[in-house]
Amino acid sequence: MKISAEQKPGNGNRVILAKRTIPNSDPEREEYLFQELRELAKAAGYLPVGELKQTRYPDSRYQLGRGKIEELAELVRNTGADKVIFYNRLSTTQLFNISEICKCQIIDKFQLILEIFAKRAITHRSKLQVELARLRYEVPRARAVVSLVKKEERAGFMGLGDYEDSYEQDLKKRIARIENELESAEKDDESLRALRHRKGFSLISLAGYTNAGKSTLFNAIVSECVEAKNMLFTTLVPVTRALDLGGRKALLTDTVGFIEDLPHWLVDAFKSTLDEIFLSDLILLVVDVSEKPEMILQKLSTSHDTLWDRIQGAPIITVLNKVDLVDESELDSILEQIGYMAPNPVFVSAKKGTGITALKAEIVKHLPPWCFCSLSLPNSEEGMSILSWLYEEGIVHRVEFGELIHVDYEARTEIINRAHALLGPKET
Amino acid sequence: MWDIIAVDISGRHRIKGGYYMVCAAAALTVSANYIEKVKQVKILPLWLKRAPSLLDIVQLIEDTADQLSFEGTIVAEKGDMYNKPRWVTESMFSRAFKYQESIAERRSIELVHHISLSTRNLLIKELQIEA
Repeated sequence: MKISAEQKPGNGNRVILAKRTIPNSDPEREEYLFQELRELAKAAGYLPVGELKQTRYPDSRYQLGRGKIEELAELVRNTGADKVIFYNRLSTTQLFNISEICKCQIIDKFQLILEIFAKRAITHRSKLQVELARLRYEVPRARAVVSLVKKEERAGFMGLGDYEDSYEQDLKKRIARIENELESAEKDDESLRALRHRKGFSLISLAGYTNAGKSTLFNAIVSECVEAKNMLFTTLVPVTRALDLGGRKALLTDTVGFIEDLPHWLVDAFKSTLDEIFLSDLILLVVDVSEKPEMILQKLSTSHDTLWDRIQGAPIITVLNKVDLVDESELDSILEQIGYMAPNPVFVSAKKGTGITALKAEIVKHLPPWCFCSLSLPNSEEGMSILSWLYEEGIVHRVEFGELIHVDYEARTEIINRAHALLGPKET
Repeated sequence: MWDIIAVDISGRHRIKGGYYMVCAAAALTVSANYIEKVKQVKILPLWLKRAPSLLDIVQLIEDTADQLSFEGTIVAEKGDMYNKPRWVTESMFSRAFKYQESIAERRSIELVHHISLSTRNLLIKELQIEA
């Protein structure tokens, strides 16, 4: 493919956004999707200098109609754009054909998301995940890319080889290597999660559509200051902080946001990051309630689609965020419209800090249950050391010192069983 | 809690002599993320010599849902309705219709999918239909 971005003056970040919409689609929704593309471009550091839309069924050679592509080429010339970003997924042939006419680099929404991820990837693991996603995107196109590139080659002695296969094989080998490396990281994560559970921590994660305010909510709940911006995909690497919920210890994790039509290969590539959500005890599904109900439903549907078969029945609390931007009288009507998609809803303004107490109470209600019991410990050095251990592992409601130490205690079943085992049947 | 009728059709591919489809419909009560109650399940097989049209699919779903003693919004997968937009399919049904959205609705579709698929496999074996 011809890339002429380097030859042009400017800082290389001027782009034209293009989208094809199918006939009879909802214009408001299409405008919203276009706005999402604008914001994605902004998040990747691009400056949109032109836009082009067409309503039609897809053209197999150019995605848009041939005439529209020529219009696009003229727009590229007039604006000096370095790149064209398509909302629609482009086949290898379409990419090649359009770049031949427009004489600039052409990418689609998925490549744009990969670019954003690549820019934000700071840890070794996130870099591997981005590389894996990029390779998985490339594999089905590998053969076509090679055959397009060598289309103009002339046959001669030893001129033609089987590098179509070898390029694809090379990609597959690199995918296998990265998968192995990520798999060992996943095992580390699994043992870390098991250790946290053993230590009595409940695992809670923040999930939701990108730019719903997850990081702001995270900061409000755990009094942290992770980066929170009005930008898509601000958080890429999960951040975990401890949270004290009236004696119960929990770990809250802020994660990457979801987006509509996120292809499965991308979700799979970020599996080890998304596992933070999928394997948690409780999920806080964050939603921007200041948007139109139809939009909220659409975003909830995307979130439910990503979560439904991966969360193994974990409870969900729907955090209806940005409540400060909505008139209080409208909240009931919004809830009525989105209720069937919003389990255990709680209204919150992460920015103003309202509703955080109610949210924490709701979290405690849905955490895995702890058991109550009364124990009688010997008033000895051993009894005191067990009491100190009980303080670490659960909530001590009442202690009475006498000949024996009487304790009213709340903890996970395993801890209570262990305490019973330590004491023997007589003392309990 | 919401009352829904989850439906799924198995066997939309051609076998010897035509198309042997089985539709399963389950009357369920769901919350946003859990199936709260399974009230009734009904199945209906259909032989077609030609490829099923959207109208055939709508009729099959309606006939299966009519056997249930419970009311509810029919919930189906978009693929079952040839990926037609909701406004097209909605207008073809005599009762409320929607595509799956929430976790509970997706779980419901998963449930009826297993019912229709295993029923079809059983019928094909028992009736010795050449697949």
